[in-house]
Amino acid sequence: MRTIGILTVLAVALVVSAAAGILVGAVAIGPSDVVAALFGSNDVNGTIIRELRLPRVLGAALVGGSLATAGALLQGLLRNPLADPFVTGTSAGATLAAVGAIALGASAPIVPLAAFAGALVAVTIVWRLARLGGSTTVLTVLLAGVVLTSFVGAVVTFILVSSDRLALRLRAVLGWLQGGVSVISWEELAVAAVIVAAGFGFALFLAHRLDAYAFGEETAATLGVDPDRTTTAVLAATALLSGAAVALAGLVGFVGLVVPHALRFAIGATHRRLIPASFFAGAAALVLADLGARVLVSPAEVPVGAITGLVGAPFFLALLVRSRRVVV
Amino acid sequence: MRSRVVVFLAVLLLTLASCGGAVTISPSPSVTASSFPATLSDFQNRSVTVPARPERLVSIGPSITAFLFALGAGPRVVGVDDFSDEPAEAATREHVGGIKVNFEKVVALKPDLVFSVKFSDGTIEKLQAASLNVLVVDPQSVSDVAKTATLLGKAVGADGEALARSIQQRVDAVKAKTANVTNRPRVYHEIDASDPAKIFTVGPGSYINDLIDIAGGTNIAARAASAYPQLSAEEILKTDPEIIVLAADAYSPKPTDVAARQGWSIIAAVKNNRIVTIDPNLINRPGPRVGEAAEAYAKLVHPELFR
Repeated sequence: MRTIGILTVLAVALVVSAAAGILVGAVAIGPSDVVAALFGSNDVNGTIIRELRLPRVLGAALVGGSLATAGALLQGLLRNPLADPFVTGTSAGATLAAVGAIALGASAPIVPLAAFAGALVAVTIVWRLARLGGSTTVLTVLLAGVVLTSFVGAVVTFILVSSDRLALRLRAVLGWLQGGVSVISWEELAVAAVIVAAGFGFALFLAHRLDAYAFGEETAATLGVDPDRTTTAVLAATALLSGAAVALAGLVGFVGLVVPHALRFAIGATHRRLIPASFFAGAAALVLADLGARVLVSPAEVPVGAITGLVGAPFFLALLVRSRRVVV
Repeated sequence: MRSRVVVFLAVLLLTLASCGGAVTISPSPSVTASSFPATLSDFQNRSVTVPARPERLVSIGPSITAFLFALGAGPRVVGVDDFSDEPAEAATREHVGGIKVNFEKVVALKPDLVFSVKFSDGTIEKLQAASLNVLVVDPQSVSDVAKTATLLGKAVGADGEALARSIQQRVDAVKAKTANVTNRPRVYHEIDASDPAKIFTVGPGSYINDLIDIAGGTNIAARAASAYPQLSAEEILKTDPEIIVLAADAYSPKPTDVAARQGWSIIAAVKNNRIVTIDPNLINRPGPRVGEAAEAYAKLVHPELFR
């Protein structure tokens, strides 16, 4: 009962944020015109709402929800509240592939596809490395992810420094690295939604196993949860979720770290509740962050990654301070 | 602060985008009407005295370089910035840096007069501190161009007035053609759309805004708050441009890419297939080719006047 109550509150928050995101934009359109536009009015307002604002808001919701869900999964698997969706190297793989694609002169829809493929390849590499000893241990997942991320960071720095020689479109790369949902086509949105739905369904299916993980890998094993298979399954689910997110929006930080972390404080660590709650809260958070990105310095825009960092980092610190007080 | 950085980047991109191209104005005969010492007021209202006819010139600014060659002072130019490539001969001179000026190189060239565009990072002051005579020349509008020709003519001892007149005549010829047009189509000039949600265009106070005006068009961003404003895709859809102009280099989107952007199919220019390209070398620099630039732009906006 409590679960349903929490989820209802978060779902309502998401709907309210989305409504705000659709009502407010660079061009002032009155609420009645917005409603008319949603129901197919055939003028310029209709196009602005249906082709620009609505996909943008839905994209932000999808990205925020995916990142927060992936964060919740990984924090549960690694039993580490500092885990974010990129800890398994997805951001590194996606970045390398996307920057490489931009350097080769590709644009939409090749860049998001490359990013998604890069994210999957990176998780696969991390997973293979983690399995070298025979079984998959979470510590090796973490280490392999960190090493891969640092390595790719160095490679990308090298590419950026030699951007002159590569005739790289530096602004396109920087825009991608800063993260943003700006313009998303309905086709991209539909493909991403299918991937996210698969990842999210998988995540719900894994919820009870992650609960067993809270007591450690050995205890989980005695509870009948195969740590090897569970690690693999969780990695696969997070790869789908964060891969789709980076493909749509580039590197958006902090949502996947802060949202599940905060929810753990607020509603407890039961994954059956935490996973859907993370999706709704993450979605609402990124829709609001994107709204902020659009209106704060209007008519210009801030990259949404800057907003999530600006709000997320102090929020995370506040949680940290509070958790210390509780412990002491 | 951020927007300044972005504007700076946009201007930088503009400068970078305008590499290549040849000058078409033939050097005016340098009949020396001016006399030395000459006391000149530059673009920052500084009073600069040129004691004698300068023999070693350094130019920091591609349009200044183009003017110096157009004035027949090319042989006296010993150093140029990294972007100066008009006329082609200019690029053969010693390079003294681009965004960051290499002061040691400038000093080593022993110039008796340095021309520079405006800098906000203390470059001008550092050049002066190195005991160099610096004249700040920074044309930003079409009317600045004739003024620049006159000022540079006086500074180097060439007939700047004649060059100014020939430039003005060519601009006036275009103005005369477009003076009586009954319709002034809405023009959207794209500078950079790396982020398709917030696109750089030209606003009031920019050189290209002047060109659009002379060409008989209406800049959709004519009332923006800055010379290089960002527009959201929403605003571009709302203003419904009748002509979309791309100053296309190798990496810019092509007209087909622009037409395919989400939601853009309702724009008049897209419906009527009026997405056109123009040579960035020609229109990005407020230089001696301004008349040619105005004419090229007018041909895009009012092709019917040039049949």
